[in-house]
Amino acid sequence: MRALLRRLGVYVLAAWVAITVSFLLPRVVPGNPVAGAVARASQSGNCNSQCVIAVEEQLGYNTHTSVWEQYVSYIGNLAHGDLGHSWSENAPVGSLILSYLPWTLGLLVIATTVSFVAGTAIGVLMAWRRGSWFEFVLPVATFFQALPYFFLALVLVLIFGQTGTLLKWFPSLFGYDIYAVTPGANLPYVQSVLSHAILPAVTVILASVAGFILAMRNQMVTTMDEDFVVVAEAKGLRARTVIWYAARNALLPVISNFTIAISLVVAGQILVEIVFNYPGIGFHLFDALGKLDYSLVQGIFVVITLIVLAANLLADVVYVMIDPRARQAA
Amino acid sequence: MTIDSTTLTQAPVAGPTPEPILRTARIVRLPRSPKVIAGLVILAVFGVVAIIGRWISPYSPNQTDPQNWVQHVLVPGTGPGTGFPANYYPLPFPPSSAHWLGTTVFAQDVLSQVLASTQATLFVGLLAAAIATCLSILFGVSAGYFGGGTDEVLSLVSNVFLAIPGLPLLIVLADYVPTAGSSIFLVAIIIAVTAWAYSSRVLRAQTLSLRNRDFVEAARVSGEGRIRIIVVELLPNLIPIVAASFLFTTLYAIYAYVAIAFLGLGGSPTSSPPGLWNWGEMLREGFANNAIRGGWWWWWAPPGLCVALLGTGLALLNFGIDEFINPRLRAAGLTRRAAKKAGIVSRAKLGMTPVAAHHAQAVSRSQAGITASREVGPEPVLEIRGLCVDYGYGEEAVHAVVDCDLVLRRGRVLGLAGESGSGKTTLALAAIRLLRSPAVITDGQVLFHSKPVGGEGPSGTIDMLAADADTLRAVRWSEISVVLQSSMNALNPVISIGAQFDDMLRVHRPHLSRTARHEMSGAMLELVGINPDRLRSYAHELSGGMRQRAMIAMALALEPQVMILDEPTTALDVVTQREILEELIGLRDRLGFAALFITHDLSLLVEIADEIAVMYAGRLMERAPAAALFNAPRLPYTHGLIHCFPPMHGQRSRMDGIPGSPPDLRALPKGCAFNPRCAWALDQCRHDVPHLAPLNGSAREVACWLHRGDAKVPAELARPDPVIVAERGSVAPPGNLARPPHEVGR
Repeated sequence: MRALLRRLGVYVLAAWVAITVSFLLPRVVPGNPVAGAVARASQSGNCNSQCVIAVEEQLGYNTHTSVWEQYVSYIGNLAHGDLGHSWSENAPVGSLILSYLPWTLGLLVIATTVSFVAGTAIGVLMAWRRGSWFEFVLPVATFFQALPYFFLALVLVLIFGQTGTLLKWFPSLFGYDIYAVTPGANLPYVQSVLSHAILPAVTVILASVAGFILAMRNQMVTTMDEDFVVVAEAKGLRARTVIWYAARNALLPVISNFTIAISLVVAGQILVEIVFNYPGIGFHLFDALGKLDYSLVQGIFVVITLIVLAANLLADVVYVMIDPRARQAA
Repeated sequence: MTIDSTTLTQAPVAGPTPEPILRTARIVRLPRSPKVIAGLVILAVFGVVAIIGRWISPYSPNQTDPQNWVQHVLVPGTGPGTGFPANYYPLPFPPSSAHWLGTTVFAQDVLSQVLASTQATLFVGLLAAAIATCLSILFGVSAGYFGGGTDEVLSLVSNVFLAIPGLPLLIVLADYVPTAGSSIFLVAIIIAVTAWAYSSRVLRAQTLSLRNRDFVEAARVSGEGRIRIIVVELLPNLIPIVAASFLFTTLYAIYAYVAIAFLGLGGSPTSSPPGLWNWGEMLREGFANNAIRGGWWWWWAPPGLCVALLGTGLALLNFGIDEFINPRLRAAGLTRRAAKKAGIVSRAKLGMTPVAAHHAQAVSRSQAGITASREVGPEPVLEIRGLCVDYGYGEEAVHAVVDCDLVLRRGRVLGLAGESGSGKTTLALAAIRLLRSPAVITDGQVLFHSKPVGGEGPSGTIDMLAADADTLRAVRWSEISVVLQSSMNALNPVISIGAQFDDMLRVHRPHLSRTARHEMSGAMLELVGINPDRLRSYAHELSGGMRQRAMIAMALALEPQVMILDEPTTALDVVTQREILEELIGLRDRLGFAALFITHDLSLLVEIADEIAVMYAGRLMERAPAAALFNAPRLPYTHGLIHCFPPMHGQRSRMDGIPGSPPDLRALPKGCAFNPRCAWALDQCRHDVPHLAPLNGSAREVACWLHRGDAKVPAELARPDPVIVAERGSVAPPGNLARPPHEVGR
C-alpha cells in the first residue's frame, strides 16, 4: 500500500504542477499576451468585446487583485469543481466538459483496451514465432508506429469515410448524425453513435497498437531467455503454459511504461477527434483555442491531465496486483 | 508511436536488467543489419534534403502559380438559387510535369513546400531532442550518481513531468507564448521541456547500476572528482542509452512539432511575423481547406508520409541501438533461409533445439560405438555419441561442442568439468534439446534408455535427436530433470512455488487430484528440508539456498532416472554449497537417479562423481574414474584445473592455476586447443588435433599427444593410478548405487 500511496502522491503533485503552470504561464510571459491573443483572434473575426473582457479576466489583466489572490481563488474554485465560465458557450466550463467527456472516455477506453490486448497478444506471438513469416509484422508495425495519429485519420477518412472520396463506407464527421437522429435512449441514436465511432476508434487502435506490439515483442524476446522459461521447457510444460510464464513476466515492464503509452494515446486522440469533428474534449480544446476561450482551454487541460493520471494510477494498481514482489513492497 | 525500446525500460522492481556494458564499449558499434542500414539511408536522405532543399526546390513555397490557376469550382452554398453571389475557388492541380506533387488550392507547388518544410521540421526535432537529452542527462545522471536526497528530489521532478501528458501541456504552453509560432527556437525549447522526463528516468536507472561497478569505485578510491567521474567514467558507458533516447526524443519532438503546427500553433508562413514552412503546417492547410473532402491527396499525403518515413528511419536506427544494448534481441530466430542453409529439417521451435538434416548419416556410424560399449559397470541410461553443436549457421557457425561421447550409467554420477565457455552446459542441454536458437545440433546421437521408476512415463530407448515435441515433453522432467546454476532466476518470480509444482505435476501426473498434488509438493519440500508452508511463498521470499533446494525438490518430484545438475551450487556460499551437496548425495543414494554433474570445481566433483570427464574448447579431453583423474591426471589441462582449487580434504599443495585465458571459440589455435597454455606442448600439439583414446588398457581415456608415441611423459602426468579405481570398476555390479570414492557427510 505504501508504494501505491507514494505514486498517488506523485500524481497529486503532478496535477498541482499542471494546474499551476497553466495558471501562471499567461501571467509571467513577457509582453502582453492579451493584446497578442486578441489581435490574433480579431484578425480571424473570432473575438468580440465580450471575448476581450473574458480573455483579460482569464489572463489576469485589468483586475485589481494580486496574482497570489487570483491563484488562491482559482485553486479554491477548482477544489469545488468550479472550472470557470466559458464565454464562447456561455456556460460553466465544468458542465461543458462533463458533456464532452463521455465521447472522449468511451473512445479512449474502448480503443486503448482493444489496442493493448491485441498489441500484447500479437507481440507475444511474434516473440514466440521468431523467424517465421510473422516477423514481417515488425517492419509494418514500425511504419505504423511512426504514422502520426491525425495523418492516419486523414488517410482513413479519404479511403473509408463518407466525407472522403473513395469507398464512403463509414460516417466520418461528428459523433452521431446530427441531422437525422435525436440524442436519447433510442435505437437510431445508439446505432448512429456506434457507426460514427468506428473510424475514430479504428484510427486510434491502428495508430497505437504498433507501439504495444513492439514493446511486448521486445520484452518477450528478452524474457524468454530467462532461466525460468528454459526451466519451464525443461519441465515439459505445455507450450501455452510456457508462453504464459514468459508473457506474465514480460508484461510487467510494459505496464510500468503505460505512463508513456497512455500520454501518447491521449495526445493522438485529441488530434483524431479534431479530424473527425468528434464531440469529445479534444475537439473542443481545438475549438476553444480558436475562440480564445481560455477558461475552457485551461479546464480541458486540467481534465485531460487528471484522466492521464487516473490511467497511470490504474496501471500502478494492476502492476501491484500481478507482481508479488511489488505487492510485498506495496 | 508508443513505447520505444524495451531495454530502456527500467521497471522499478521487475524486468530484466540490460546486459552489462563493458567499459571498453565506448563507441556504439551498430549491428550491420538491414534494419539499421535502411534507417541510416532514410535519415541521410532527409538530412540532405533539409540542407539543400531550398536550392533544389523548383518554386518558392509561397509563390502562387497564376498560370495554372485556371480551374475553379463553385463554393457550395453560393451561386444561383442560394441567395448568395456565386463564389468560386480554384481547384488544386494533381501531380503533373510542371508540379511533380501537384499544387495546393492556392496554386502553390507542393513539392517546393515539402522541400522547404523538411528543414524546419528536422531542425526543430533535432534541436528539441538535443535540449531534452541535455536536460535528461543533467537530471538522470545526477540523480543516479549522487543518490540520497538529490535523487529523491530529481526523481520526483522527472516523475511529475512524466505523468503530465506532454501534448496537452505543449498546446497550453504554445498557446500562451504568443511569439512561439514565429521562433522555432522557442518551439524547440517548449517541446524539450515536455520531452525530457522519460529519458531522464532511464538514464537514472542505468547510472544507478553503473555507479557501483568496479571501475567507478576504482576512480572514486583514486580520488577523482565527482564531476570528472561522471564525465570520464560514467557518460561514455551511457552513450548507447543516450543515443537511443536522443533518437526517441527526436521522433517525439517531430511529432509534437507537427501536431502543434497542425493545431495552428506553429505560426503560419503567411502571417506576420511569418512562421516557417513545416509538415504540420502543410497538413493543417490541407485539412482546413477541405483537401480530404476534395480528394486532393497529393496536397496532404506527402507531408504525412514524410513524417511517417522519417519516423520509421529513426525507429529502425533505434532498433539497432536496442540490439546493441540488449544482444538478446539481436540473436534472431532461425529464419527459414538460415535453416535451409544449415540443412535443418524440423521447424525451429522454442525449447526444441533444431537438428541438422545430415545428422541421420551419423546415426549409423555411431551405432557401432553403442554395441561395443567399452566400459564395464551398470547399464547406460543416457548415451551421447559424437555430439556436435554449433552456434549460428553456415560459415559464421561457432563450434561449441565437437564430437563428444559420454555415457551416463544408471545410478551413477558423471562429472563434467571445465572452465566456463568450454561447452559443458551446451553439451548437457543439447542432449535434451533445451538449447535455444541459434544453437543447432549438427551431428551425433543421443539415446535415452528409459525404465521409468514409477512405471509412468515413456519407456524403451528414445532417440532424443529424432524425438518429436510430444515425446520430448513426456521425457522431460518426468525422466530427465535439470537443475540450473542460478536458482535465483530458475523459479518464475510471479508465481508461487506451489503453483509451479502444480503446473508441473498436472502435466506429468494428470490423474492426481488437486489435494494429492499439493501433498506431494509439500512432501518434496520436506525432503529437502523446507517447511511445506513455503509452497505459498514466491521466489523472492526465499534465500538463495532455499531456492536451490526448492528447485532440487521440484527436479526430484517425478522420480527421474537422470538429473542434469548444471553448477547447482556455484552461486551459493560455501556453507550452503556443502549442505546442498550432501543432501544431493543422500538423495541420490536413496532414490537412485543417475546424475550428470557439471562444474568447474574438480575438487568438488571428486567427492561425488564416479567418473569425471574434462572438457576444453568444446571437446572432451580426458575421461577417467573420479579418483584416478583427480589423483593422477594424465592431461596437462586437468592437472592445471586440479591445481586451481584447494582440495576440500587432504594435504595442502601449491596452487598454480593455468596461465592464459580460455580460448576464443571463434579463433581456436591450430592443433590441440590447449597448446598455447600448455607447459609441455610438443611440436605435434601445434599441428594436429588429438582425439580421445584409451590409455594403455586402463579404464581411462585422454586426448593428448604426450601420451602417444614415444614422447616423454612429464612426471606430473604419470602418477600411478590409485588402487581403489581398479576395484570399483570390476566389483560394482550393474544397478548398484556405488558410493562415491570419498564419502561425504551423512
